[in-house]
Amino acid sequence: MPAPRPLGPTGLPWPLLLALLAWGLLPWERGAGASGPASGPWALGGGLAFGLALALALFQGRVPPGPRSLGRVGVGLLQGAGLGLFLVDLLTAEAVGPGQAAVTLLALFSLGHWLAGSTPTRDPLLGGLTWVAVALVLLFIPYPLWVLLRTLDLGRIPALLADGRFLLLENPYTPASEAALALAVGGVGALVGLLAARGRRFLGLGVGLALGLAVGLALFGRGALPTSLLVAGVVAPLATLLGLGFALLEYSQAPPWTRALLRGLALLPLISPPFILAFALILAFGRNGFVTHHLLGLDQNLLYGPLGVILAQVLAFTPVAYMVIRGTVQNLEHSLMEAAATLGARPWRVFRTVTWPLLRPGLANAFLLTVLESLSDFGNPLILGGDRQYLATEVFVAFTGRYDPVEASFYGVVLLLLVFLVFFLQYRWLGRAAFITATGRPSRGGGGPLPPGLGAVLAGVFLLWAVLTLGLYGSVAVGSLVKLWGFDYTFTLRHYQDFLVLGLPVFLNTLKVAFYAAVPTALLGLFLAYVLQRQELPGKRVLEAMTLLSFAMPGTAMGVGYVLAFNPSPWVLTGTTLILVLALVFREVPVGVRAGVAGLAQVDRSLEEASATLGASPLRTLARVVLPLLFPAFLAGLVFAFVRGMTAVSQVVFLVGPGNLLATVLLLGWVEQGQMGRAAVMSTVMVLSLVAATLLLWPLNRRLDVRLGGLP
Amino acid sequence: MGSRYLWPWLLVLLGLAPVGAQQKPVNMLCSPDLAWCEALVPAFKQATGLDLRFVRLSSGEALARLRAEAQRPQFDVWFGGTGDPHMIAFREGLTEFYKPRSWNQLRPELRAAVGETYIPLYMGAIGFVVNHQVLERRGLPEPKRWTDLADDRYRRLLAMPDPNTSGTGYTILATLVQLYGEDRAFQLLSRIHRNVAQYTRSGAAPGQLAGRGDVAIAVQFAHDGVKFALEGYPLKVLFPLEGTGYEIGGLSLVKGAPNREGAIRFIEWALTPEVQALAAKVGSFQIPSHTKTPVPPQAPRPANLIRYDFNTFGTPEVRERLLNRFNKEILPLPR
Repeated sequence: MPAPRPLGPTGLPWPLLLALLAWGLLPWERGAGASGPASGPWALGGGLAFGLALALALFQGRVPPGPRSLGRVGVGLLQGAGLGLFLVDLLTAEAVGPGQAAVTLLALFSLGHWLAGSTPTRDPLLGGLTWVAVALVLLFIPYPLWVLLRTLDLGRIPALLADGRFLLLENPYTPASEAALALAVGGVGALVGLLAARGRRFLGLGVGLALGLAVGLALFGRGALPTSLLVAGVVAPLATLLGLGFALLEYSQAPPWTRALLRGLALLPLISPPFILAFALILAFGRNGFVTHHLLGLDQNLLYGPLGVILAQVLAFTPVAYMVIRGTVQNLEHSLMEAAATLGARPWRVFRTVTWPLLRPGLANAFLLTVLESLSDFGNPLILGGDRQYLATEVFVAFTGRYDPVEASFYGVVLLLLVFLVFFLQYRWLGRAAFITATGRPSRGGGGPLPPGLGAVLAGVFLLWAVLTLGLYGSVAVGSLVKLWGFDYTFTLRHYQDFLVLGLPVFLNTLKVAFYAAVPTALLGLFLAYVLQRQELPGKRVLEAMTLLSFAMPGTAMGVGYVLAFNPSPWVLTGTTLILVLALVFREVPVGVRAGVAGLAQVDRSLEEASATLGASPLRTLARVVLPLLFPAFLAGLVFAFVRGMTAVSQVVFLVGPGNLLATVLLLGWVEQGQMGRAAVMSTVMVLSLVAATLLLWPLNRRLDVRLGGLP
Repeated sequence: MGSRYLWPWLLVLLGLAPVGAQQKPVNMLCSPDLAWCEALVPAFKQATGLDLRFVRLSSGEALARLRAEAQRPQFDVWFGGTGDPHMIAFREGLTEFYKPRSWNQLRPELRAAVGETYIPLYMGAIGFVVNHQVLERRGLPEPKRWTDLADDRYRRLLAMPDPNTSGTGYTILATLVQLYGEDRAFQLLSRIHRNVAQYTRSGAAPGQLAGRGDVAIAVQFAHDGVKFALEGYPLKVLFPLEGTGYEIGGLSLVKGAPNREGAIRFIEWALTPEVQALAAKVGSFQIPSHTKTPVPPQAPRPANLIRYDFNTFGTPEVRERLLNRFNKEILPLPR
């Protein structure tokens, strides 16, 4: 039995340290910049008083009487004083220096540490870390969004809603009535819902009507809302289905080369820079396309528009879905299916009652992620969108083409609402159902053999997909080596020479930034996942939703929010490498969280309970039991964050500063100006280096394969 | 125990101590072709010894960036890009008008057109960028006039920038309105609309579509078309006989620039004929604003320019009215 933990701040040095640092650093950081009524001795005194009051209030009733309690109160007072000083300093300073930032975080940590330390069931260190993590999330996700939304002028919303670029339902120039058609589809949906929902008629009617109207809107309406809905509505089910098919194929008795190809190819679209797949598609399937014109002799322009965007997105997001579902399929306990079959269940019944419920969380996650990706996708609609509008690109276009920030934030809000709706629906569908299959002991994963017909079909579909993907990426590599991609196929190294001068420094800078961002992303993501899944914290759901916010928010809007929020005093972050890193970290942290949550959901709580029963502190349990089981998820998160950091574009367009350019932004410039040779070189180099990076981590990942891997 | 925790933190904090100040570089927002921006950097260093650092953003992006940073500007000077955003930035107080020493040597028609809002840097006219291969394959003639664009034979073979999202697109719209009067211009646009395969987001995209053969005719700035043609695309640049509109690319001093002196040195330097002549060397064939700068031989010279009224068509009210009309009367038309 461990000794009962003493109350109050344990591990002593934190508060004292903080107070010392506070005093030691103040003059150093304030420098000449401090001015204004709130600074000077008055502010210091006020801060001191505030801190003392806070410390007293917090200490009241917490310190047991005893000979050492006086010392503890003193320490607490010092700590409070330090915190107060820093609050004042933070609010009055012209610019937050690195010292202030570090000490503020220390102060938060120390406060959380101390508060948790006074509750026997909680670990002080975890408590402190939680405070820091929550503060960072609040500061870098909702705060910039709020700053952005403040610019939204409510009076203009009706006009924006009625704008044909947002939603045009009744086109006066066409003979058919689109609104009537959409209503008709809504009616059909309501009818189907009514019939399908046994017992809960109203619910069925409502859901059916809503879905039907959404479908009708997407099919017959014009403007950004219907188009984005249409694309997401087609892409998400398709990508999820394909992802499921590929995952089943991987874990069935497919020939080994299929597996290798699957794992390799699935990575490609994940690690590919933006825009380039879209361009390869144009050169293959456009009016002058290699396949459509030169091979098939067609003369068409169908690629520009929703069809092209859907094609590009299915190609790009199927791997995302596959990676998510793969983790689930991998963890399917085959013995469960066998047991059901032995008990006399027919295959279909086994699937419906055993396999499906186990697969459902993975499918729902994949669906959610692909919907989010599709809605917030920026590169593909920008290149392939034709003259239809899409929500995510409209944010960008409203800012940069119509110079209208109000309109941009309006589109941003619409996107957010949509995302929340999807999140809510997923939550309702999955509920709190939990199916634990990972018990820490090895078992044979996978879904078992597939029916022969299905296996062949899946293999065929996969082969087609593989040929398409390889062909497209191959054409990019070819494009980098010829004079004029699509026209003049004379071999040249000119673009590579240009790249060495113009592209390489930027590329190296991008490597650096992405690496700086990857480590905190993976750590923070895993930590937040642990807090969300395993710790009691008021407002956990809100925290989770907040982390999703940044993922769902179109990057452009997030980027502008960052500029608006962190350019003015006291932040003064724009133009620095730090803001690029922060933007990437908090953009990708939801992915880390999802990876951690998915991993944790599969780790039986009883393992931790056993550890706790044996006397380990929560931190020790985390370090010795949970983390080793989660290490593959952490590694996957790390790689994923690095890759996403390398390929992120929309959120950094507005954040890059002079002398601090990123590869994707340069790529956007080259693409917009038709420098396709250079763009192809940059893409090739990026793909190759990312392949190398993932390959380096591959053996490590496999050795540590505790059956819990799997991206998001 | 205390010191064990203390030392690493102290070291970290020491490591974060600020380093000494260096000589301030000039930070430039650069909106024209990337190669042009890149060529300026070593030349400026050689001429003044100052470092020039830039971010290339299209003029719309640049304006968005200036607005977002209005409270604490990061950039000193904004080089190039179409005139409307420069004018908007001036009206919103994001830039200030600086009269360079060479003001009187700049082309008087350009100076008169922009007034004292921003410094004219170059002039570029709207033209037809035509893929002659696609036209020949179909046995179609080259378009000679704006009205030819409405010809049924060009069905789905036309691309132009969307006036909502591109300054070039708006310049085309305003040009037609000034040529034909508002109502007739919109009639013409409604007929042209049936031939348009795509309204593109960015101003230079139609020429790329034409270059790749996705369309046959692109309406956009002629100098971009010349650049694409020189890169090897089967393109040809024509000007409509009725006359055409143009842009006046700008150079602006950012208000509250962190390095105002450096910015002014840059502006004076950038307007000299030798520096303006750099543009043509890196493939930008606009007509330079300084009267002494030689006009590059490749620069497309329209025979017939309209008297483009920047003051009227640059105002937000007129712009909004025309765009609303375009969105209501043209875009929803079936094709």
